[in-house]
Amino acid sequence: MSAPAKLAYFVRTAVGSIVRSPFVHVIAVASLSLSLIGFGVARIARTQLDALVDSLGGEVEMTVYLAEDAPEAQVAELEQALAQRTAGEVHRVSPAEALGRLATQLGEDGKVLTELPDNPLPWSLEVHLPKAARDAASLGDLARKTRALPFVTGVDYGEEALERLTLIARALEIASLVVFSLVFLTAVIVVSATLQLAIFARREEIEIQKLVGATDRFVRLPFLLEGLLQGLLAAGLALGAVFALVRWLESGQTGLLAFARLDGRLVVQWPRLAGELVGIGCSLGLVGSFIAVRRFLRV
Amino acid sequence: MERPPDVFSRRPSLSGTIAPAMIQMFHVSKAYPGDPPVLVDINLDIEKGEFIFLTGPSGAGKSTLLKLMFLAERASRGQVLLAGRNVARLRESGIPFLRRNIGVVFQDFKLLPTRTVAENVGFTLDVLGTARDEVRDRSLKMLRRVGLEHKADVSPLKLSGGEQQRVSLARALVNDPALLLADEPTGNLDPALTVEIMDLLTDVNARGTTVVVATHDATLIERYQKRTLRLEKGTVVADERGAKAARLMSQTA
Repeated sequence: MSAPAKLAYFVRTAVGSIVRSPFVHVIAVASLSLSLIGFGVARIARTQLDALVDSLGGEVEMTVYLAEDAPEAQVAELEQALAQRTAGEVHRVSPAEALGRLATQLGEDGKVLTELPDNPLPWSLEVHLPKAARDAASLGDLARKTRALPFVTGVDYGEEALERLTLIARALEIASLVVFSLVFLTAVIVVSATLQLAIFARREEIEIQKLVGATDRFVRLPFLLEGLLQGLLAAGLALGAVFALVRWLESGQTGLLAFARLDGRLVVQWPRLAGELVGIGCSLGLVGSFIAVRRFLRV
Repeated sequence: MERPPDVFSRRPSLSGTIAPAMIQMFHVSKAYPGDPPVLVDINLDIEKGEFIFLTGPSGAGKSTLLKLMFLAERASRGQVLLAGRNVARLRESGIPFLRRNIGVVFQDFKLLPTRTVAENVGFTLDVLGTARDEVRDRSLKMLRRVGLEHKADVSPLKLSGGEQQRVSLARALVNDPALLLADEPTGNLDPALTVEIMDLLTDVNARGTTVVVATHDATLIERYQKRTLRLEKGTVVADERGAKAARLMSQTA
């Protein structure tokens, strides 16, 4: 009972079965590919949404308005304290700089500002918050404490925007979880049904194998190997299809990306996506085969 | 790794003076839910090395009795012992190893149309993990014994019924089993081929294999005069040997 002979036999059987009945295998690979394409598209969409949320989140910052008579030492101290507390970057913004920015933001209407007799804007500190500090609760807490400090006239941190953003992020999390589970569940059902079809065509072979003394493991292994091969093949096909789809979207013919406010490029981590598709494809093939062959082992 | 239980050893057992019988049945019944019982209170004792004819009208339970012998079915009641081992106590995972010692010729041959004749014969050896060359070698040798070496590389679909039957027999014998069960192995053969197959069966029997043949063919029983069990309506109605068996069976078959 030599292991290499057995392995050779399993590989021969698996390949032989694919060659002998290509049609069922084409169907199995197609259904696997479709599931994987669904997964890949969902995955990329999710990455884009994440990127979108991130880019919106990049605008999250806290502005601390200072009293006119604030002494330099106090301001420097506050600056340092804020930087330490949030682990973010703190910029001092002069009234002139602030006015200039406002003028740019207003565009044409900004010309009115030049008519002003003197600059009404106070000195302020801009705190760029790192990702970790961007939750509404801790920021609210920080704002409240800062407001109570001497020489601080006001604190602004885009409360509403931040809360909405947090909400959107959470909704996305749940939605993508639901989509993933649906795609995965459908895939398992479709794949094991298809493989069952493929194995049904070979129930005679399984029956005879068992009648001449094959163990369940021996009968099952070529089928698992087939499932694995199908999964690999389907992952390759799905990856190609997703790649083509991404290139097509990026070519700008659909206008879909402009709608999503993305600058004509999709954020895709190809090696990671490839790894995931291969992993999921192989496990779908294996699990599908395992479930499918089970039914026919009772002889 | 996988280790078949050595229950079918043809040497006398070292532990006791009496080697266990090949097949023993005690009060065995088989019934499928909702149908009248197929087998009722069967008691059997088949020794190692015996040659047995199993006869009786259609529907008497011959095939079911054979199925109990290679564990395709389990008894509803009673005990079945194979080589002294109670199969009721056998775990599901032990069945394959027991079957490797049993060759079965099925009434419907059970050949795979997608494989060549030689591959069908080699199936039995593939399962054991035998190397490819050896499988081919032994399959061809076995095919030569049943006179079908020249058909080794064609599909079984291209063979006549009699030829398919011989391929099925070759598959059952290629692993040199301790027990051969054959369901109507000469049913599709002309008289000349019947003699050839029976010669083959008596030959393997002479080499130590216990042979159980289910057959309708009274002339076979008459000519070979082996121990004959007659089944009727699920029970053994006669168990005779030699000339007496021949006379009895030919009268009632």
